Amino acid sequence: MKRLAAIIGALVLLAGGCSSREDREPPLKPVSLPDLSKMTASAQKQIREAHGSLTKTIEKHEAAPAKVAEAYGTLGRIFMAADQTDAAEPCLLNAQTLAPSDIRWPYYLGHLNRDRGQLPAAAAFFERALELRPDDLASLVWLGDIYLALGRPDDAEPRFAKALALQPNSLSARFGLGRTALAKQDYSAAVTHLEGVLAQDPEAAGAHYPLAMAYRGVGKLDKADAHLRQREDHVILPADPLMVELEELLESPQAYESRGIRALDRKDWTEAATLFRKGLAIAPDNAALHHRLGTALYLMGDGAGARNEFEAAVQASPDYHLAQYSLGVLLQADGRHAEAIDRFTAAVRSRPGDTAARVRLAASLRRIGRAKDALSHYEQVAAMNPDLTEARFGHAIALVQIGRHREARDRLTEGMKADPHSSLFAHGLARLLATARDDRIRDGQRAMTLVQDLLKQGRTLDLGATMAMALAELGQFAQAATVQRDLIAAAEKAGLRDMVARLTRNLGLYERGEPCRTPWTADEVP
Amino acid sequence: MFALLLTAGCSADSGGSGAANDPGRGGDEWFTERAQETGLDFVHFNGASGRFYYPEILPPGVGLFDYDNDGDLDVYLVQGRRLGADQSSDTPGAGALKGRFYRNDLRVNADGTRHLHFTDITGKSGIDATQYGLGVTAADVDNDGWVDLLLTNFGTNQLFHNNSDGTFTDVSKPRGIEDDSGRFAVSAAFLDYDRDGWLDLYVANNANYTLQNETVCPNMAGARDYCPPQIYGGQPDRLYRNQAGRFVDVSTKALAGGKFGPALGVATADYNGDGWIDIYVANDGEANLLWINQRDGTFREAALLAGAALTEEGKAEASMGVDAGDFDNDGDEDLVMTELTGQGSNLYANDGSGIFRDVSAASGLGQLSVPYTGWGTAWFDFDNDGWLDILSVNGTIVAASGRGAEAFPYDQRKVLFRNRRDGRFEDVTGQAGAVFELSESGRGAAFGDIDNDGDVDVLVGNDGGRVRLLINNSGNRSHWLGIRLVGPTGRDMLGARVEVIRGGSPTIWRRARSDGSYGSANDPRVLVGLGTVTDTPTVRVHWPDGRAEAWSGVAIDRWMTMREGSGR
Repeated sequence: MKRLAAIIGALVLLAGGCSSREDREPPLKPVSLPDLSKMTASAQKQIREAHGSLTKTIEKHEAAPAKVAEAYGTLGRIFMAADQTDAAEPCLLNAQTLAPSDIRWPYYLGHLNRDRGQLPAAAAFFERALELRPDDLASLVWLGDIYLALGRPDDAEPRFAKALALQPNSLSARFGLGRTALAKQDYSAAVTHLEGVLAQDPEAAGAHYPLAMAYRGVGKLDKADAHLRQREDHVILPADPLMVELEELLESPQAYESRGIRALDRKDWTEAATLFRKGLAIAPDNAALHHRLGTALYLMGDGAGARNEFEAAVQASPDYHLAQYSLGVLLQADGRHAEAIDRFTAAVRSRPGDTAARVRLAASLRRIGRAKDALSHYEQVAAMNPDLTEARFGHAIALVQIGRHREARDRLTEGMKADPHSSLFAHGLARLLATARDDRIRDGQRAMTLVQDLLKQGRTLDLGATMAMALAELGQFAQAATVQRDLIAAAEKAGLRDMVARLTRNLGLYERGEPCRTPWTADEVP
Repeated sequence: MFALLLTAGCSADSGGSGAANDPGRGGDEWFTERAQETGLDFVHFNGASGRFYYPEILPPGVGLFDYDNDGDLDVYLVQGRRLGADQSSDTPGAGALKGRFYRNDLRVNADGTRHLHFTDITGKSGIDATQYGLGVTAADVDNDGWVDLLLTNFGTNQLFHNNSDGTFTDVSKPRGIEDDSGRFAVSAAFLDYDRDGWLDLYVANNANYTLQNETVCPNMAGARDYCPPQIYGGQPDRLYRNQAGRFVDVSTKALAGGKFGPALGVATADYNGDGWIDIYVANDGEANLLWINQRDGTFREAALLAGAALTEEGKAEASMGVDAGDFDNDGDEDLVMTELTGQGSNLYANDGSGIFRDVSAASGLGQLSVPYTGWGTAWFDFDNDGWLDILSVNGTIVAASGRGAEAFPYDQRKVLFRNRRDGRFEDVTGQAGAVFELSESGRGAAFGDIDNDGDVDVLVGNDGGRVRLLINNSGNRSHWLGIRLVGPTGRDMLGARVEVIRGGSPTIWRRARSDGSYGSANDPRVLVGLGTVTDTPTVRVHWPDGRAEAWSGVAIDRWMTMREGSGR
């Protein structure tokens, strides 16, 4: 009691600008509310309540230091969750002063300093956390990570190693060891650790890039290249219950949206939907939250619910292009291209640079026979981003549809060069060369060569159909018919009635000794 | 005799006294801020009105170039204006806001002291830059011996032709620069990628943004702030080939296969050591690009395998300013780029073949810079000790914690990191001068010897703030060598490399460049710090067309011009 009274006395003195103290306790930092006026009402209310609670706790002279620490810590964590790091720091420091054996306060201070780039301070706080709980895995991994950033791999290594020993299936610890080996230019060890990460979790795509650098270091450039092609922006983090707790504190639409997005990232659609709904309870007209909820519902298989939410987003904000886009995607998937066109048109009207919406719009236009109208959209996309595979391919197919086969051929050829790992262009080109009406474009031999190369990568019914087209173009009608019959049998077995009908039509041609002169029928145009 | 003859092949232009002079009268300060007293009274206006229009967070660039061929660097300063419907309200000062152009009236007295003064010649110059300006680039694009000016705007880019009489003419349309596709860039670079003797142009485009698609980006507590470019998506960069003064967009063929991002910085150099100029692009939040010159008019994007696209961990960070330079004096071009607070600047060390290793942590640069959101930056030898140091100007893109009610709470201090000559850097900001204590929203930074006294000064553009001129007081206490590299037409030979060969001391490699940094035009001349070495070196110049020439017994502690074809 006497201790707390001294602390409170110190707080009052410090707040008054006086530095004299008569006890031996470390001074508490003055805490004040920052400007909250630009925050949402819910966040303001939450912060004011936590601040009020702290004030009341301090005013209760009989309150135990642990209780005061908790009140400081609660306010500090809410500040931290609300991106108010300067306001959070004194709260958390006071909590640490009052409850020095509680790991939470140095742990949060470690993160706070890490976020604002104060790495030596962050390391000191995580070291303190580990003094309190030596086996805390998250502290070990974060500390190792900070030592790597400080250029101290020798200090990082034992932290990651200990974390891995404590939890042998910790991806973040193993990943840290791999990064440490890379930093020490021990490329063989880096390969071992990082291959271990991917063996444990093939979806840990964040490991591909450092692994590629490790393979580059040992001179295996082909392996490096293969891993570079698989890399994704996927961060490998430790399980972090204290940070999860912090992130769950703030009740604002943005906080719920952010937490929902993270749930989506971990494929927990139900949790995501719950979080988006909580956000909507605070902000019912938030178009982004309606759209996110729609996405979660769609992933849960609730197409109708998704559509309702997308509609609600558009109602709340008619210019919200993402909702218009998503509605368009749903309609397009149902084959309702005319309605999809309206939605995509609305999306590109409000966001002219939305290439995804424009490519979808062009695809729907093509599918209802308006390939000429689609062309201008493909041209606009090409001007904005010339390397979008889907747009390049769609553009070429639109040219095929309107009979500009020479240009289509050139575009497909360019696509093959630009994206040599995609079979899309080679297959499209093979089909065009096998079936074009223009004698100057048709080239059965080259079509067959392309098909044979593609067959090495895998067999599909479509590719088989193209092979039959090429055989027919080369005059090998009997072989074409044999291939076609095999394809029909396979399609029947798979229950693909439309395809069976198409294949049967072409079989008739081959049996009559006629080549195919329709690259794609209206119902199969890619 | 041999040495005398060769020395005569290069002309001495001016010499620094090596002693204190007027602009450098800073006492013990390494740098002293002298913008206003020298006539640079410019205040940038970003138009910020609480609507958080994305471009407001990007400018301004600043430019240093010698428009009148009088041997000193003149100044161009990019201006903004109000965006959106309320364009006319609240604009400061009278008349339309426009980029300002200042002539350097440097006077060098007989005793070596200097009087530095700038005169605003915007009105007379004919440069009517009233768009929302972002950056500036300068080079002689038509080989007439006079430097022309490219302005990057949130709008259409503008190319101003230098009429050689103190005036400029907007030739954007006839020269093929005008791009009305809605793209916009901050940084651009002139380079002769095809060795035809004409400077081509790389424009590093940023986001797919229009005022109409402005998006609201609140923080976790709901307070609105500026959106990151990923909200809008990146725009493809453009490469223009210079065909005898007219630019032709060759991007489709020359830049095939690139995954473009929202670019903010560009630095051209021969990264793989094959003698042909390559292009490095700093993207904001997405993988950076390294375009390797295929010597046939096309480039191959190779950043990922080269280790120059992402951090060691595989993260795409928010690269903004960028520069290439040989920080470890091993003869190749290393890369430094500024990033967001919490990310830290990145340093990619080149092994000479265009293969890079992320040494941000090992060099200490990452740790030293991680509290800052950096923009304009450069490799420059501020103390002329022969080792390249780093200065970056900083400013956040997220409102400072607890200061959301202020008009533009995005300021940070500038920082100066000294090369310790062992692969590591140390923070010497505290010794650099009072100007480094100012917290401002730094963006553009142009590096050059503004007072021709033998050390590198820095011009800084602040977003919504005063321009700053950091005069270097101390660099010329060490020996130095200043070289202007010109071609047969009198054009600065951007991309030329200088090999300074010294008996008993390591060879130093430097490059003539005006690009790099952030939205800014650097001094195209080369200033080489020699430390305490007084021997006259041999200078071998590797010209962009692949030829090399040498000058022996080159006099030090003075500026001189080396003209292609006059060496051996």
